[in-house]
Amino acid sequence: MRRWTDFLILIAVLAAMIVLFGLMRDSFLSMGTLGTVANRIPALALVATGMTLVMVTGGIDLSVGSLLGFCGAVTGVLMADLHWGLATAVLASVVVGAVIGSTTGAVSVKLRLPSFIVSLGMLEIARGLAFLTTNSQTKYIGADIEALGAPFGGLVISPAFVISLLVVAAGQVILSQMAIGRHLIAIGANREAALVSGLSVDRPRIFAHALLGALTGLAAVFNCSRLGSADPNAGTGFELGAIAAVVVGGTSLMGGRGSVVKSFMGVLIIATLEAGLIQVGATEPVKRVVTGLVIVAAVLADTWRRK
Amino acid sequence: MSACKPASPSSSPSGKPRVVLVMKSLANEFFQTMAEGAKKHQAAHVGDYELIVNGIKNETDLAEQVGLVDQMVSQGVQAIVIAPADSKALVTVLKRAKEAGVLVINIDNKLDADTLKQAGLSIPFVGPDNRAGAKAVGEVLAKKLKAGDEVAIIEGVTTAFNGQQRKAGFEDAMNASGMKIVASQSGQWEMEKANGVAAGILAANPNVKALLCANDNMALGAAAAVQAAGKAGQVQIIGFDNIVALKPLLADGRVLATCDQHGDQLAVFGIEAALKILKDKATPADQQTPVDVVVK
Repeated sequence: MRRWTDFLILIAVLAAMIVLFGLMRDSFLSMGTLGTVANRIPALALVATGMTLVMVTGGIDLSVGSLLGFCGAVTGVLMADLHWGLATAVLASVVVGAVIGSTTGAVSVKLRLPSFIVSLGMLEIARGLAFLTTNSQTKYIGADIEALGAPFGGLVISPAFVISLLVVAAGQVILSQMAIGRHLIAIGANREAALVSGLSVDRPRIFAHALLGALTGLAAVFNCSRLGSADPNAGTGFELGAIAAVVVGGTSLMGGRGSVVKSFMGVLIIATLEAGLIQVGATEPVKRVVTGLVIVAAVLADTWRRK
Repeated sequence: MSACKPASPSSSPSGKPRVVLVMKSLANEFFQTMAEGAKKHQAAHVGDYELIVNGIKNETDLAEQVGLVDQMVSQGVQAIVIAPADSKALVTVLKRAKEAGVLVINIDNKLDADTLKQAGLSIPFVGPDNRAGAKAVGEVLAKKLKAGDEVAIIEGVTTAFNGQQRKAGFEDAMNASGMKIVASQSGQWEMEKANGVAAGILAANPNVKALLCANDNMALGAAAAVQAAGKAGQVQIIGFDNIVALKPLLADGRVLATCDQHGDQLAVFGIEAALKILKDKATPADQQTPVDVVVK
């Protein structure tokens, strides 16, 4: 029951935003806007899915923005400079993401360091690697990668969008239907209890970080496909958008509670807010203040309902 | 970080002036190109001066840059050529440097004139006129449009002086030719952010005929947005900087023009000005460096 009321509230917030922006600007309610939002969602949705799995355990990963830049840099160099095909470049980007993600996870879990700190370190390392890989230069990839992010079959949605929806669905199944998902929630809810009941608390957490890393690698390719280029500065501050989407979706920063589908609703809210603010011509300061207020308001609403 | 060359036997090591180049982020393509240009110049003029190149980690880390200047002064360098991370916040430390007898030359980001006046300081600026460069690119664009056409500007970081100058230059060109600027928003110098802003502007203003971007990275993002909106060929794009990644888009017309401010020479111009002043004991004066429009 509670699940449905949570969900309805998120839909109501989204609907209210769409109506409000629609009233402020006629052109907001158009296929053009739908296309714009649909285009921006895939990368954020993939990372928010992985981030939800990490955050239900009570962990966090601040390095995803830099990792997005680094995996994009790898994709850019492989495709633009070394002329690799798309499929192998995607695979390489996902593997690089998974390796970095599992490193963050393993260091944090095995050495008993807060994931906040370890991923903060990785944020710096991955950004440095992004600059090193590209020699600090933007790489133009072009048509070889653009199809992935371009609408197909006369629709407004791209292959990247469809794939991200499938990943969200799979993430939700992992979290709510599979043993590993319940395991992750149990760790977040009460680590000692999980430990006493004989559950392994290390491997699932490393798995969540590795999955987040792999999804970030895929998100990096989608990001490049949308832009046709790889920018070593890509993803600066991206982690905050992903964390905001997850938190807006009601996942607790303390762990033990979360839903991938609701995180996706958070992604829709963040992406719609961003598109709406641009279309009504909001200035940079206004955009930042409004975005901040919406995030805090969403979390406040969530907390009040639970009291 | 030091790029000092061992002194050649024929020149006396103590006689050569030590010039330090203080940059913004060396991870940024633009500043890296600038630093490479300076190192090449020094290698060709080994007998004339010693060069130390220093950069900060991130463009907005003012404290780190202030610390760098202090360190260089205490090392007793003769001249500091600096691309200030902030046009006001660096003035105080540069005043300390000048009081210690170090020649200071300002490159890239011009120090704020009022702040300099308040501090009673005069520091020569050697660099391009971003406003004139942006205006020149804007004029190329204006020839492709009709008076009354709708255009939009994608600005850089709104607090950066060069970003403000480029925006002003775009506005000069558009106003002079009677275009209608329907939107002007910041893309924060970044491709991805500019892509989102451009997509929003195109959706909100279906009649926009051109996007004027304050740097090439943002022009790349805007070009992708134009394509995604199914408006390829209907919306003109201009940029600024002439980076390598833009070349294919200039070649096939997705981007009309950009502005080359000769990034590899910007630091060199500053260093040459410093050496000239040190040698001739001349009074420092502002000096303008060339900006060129690049099409195709």
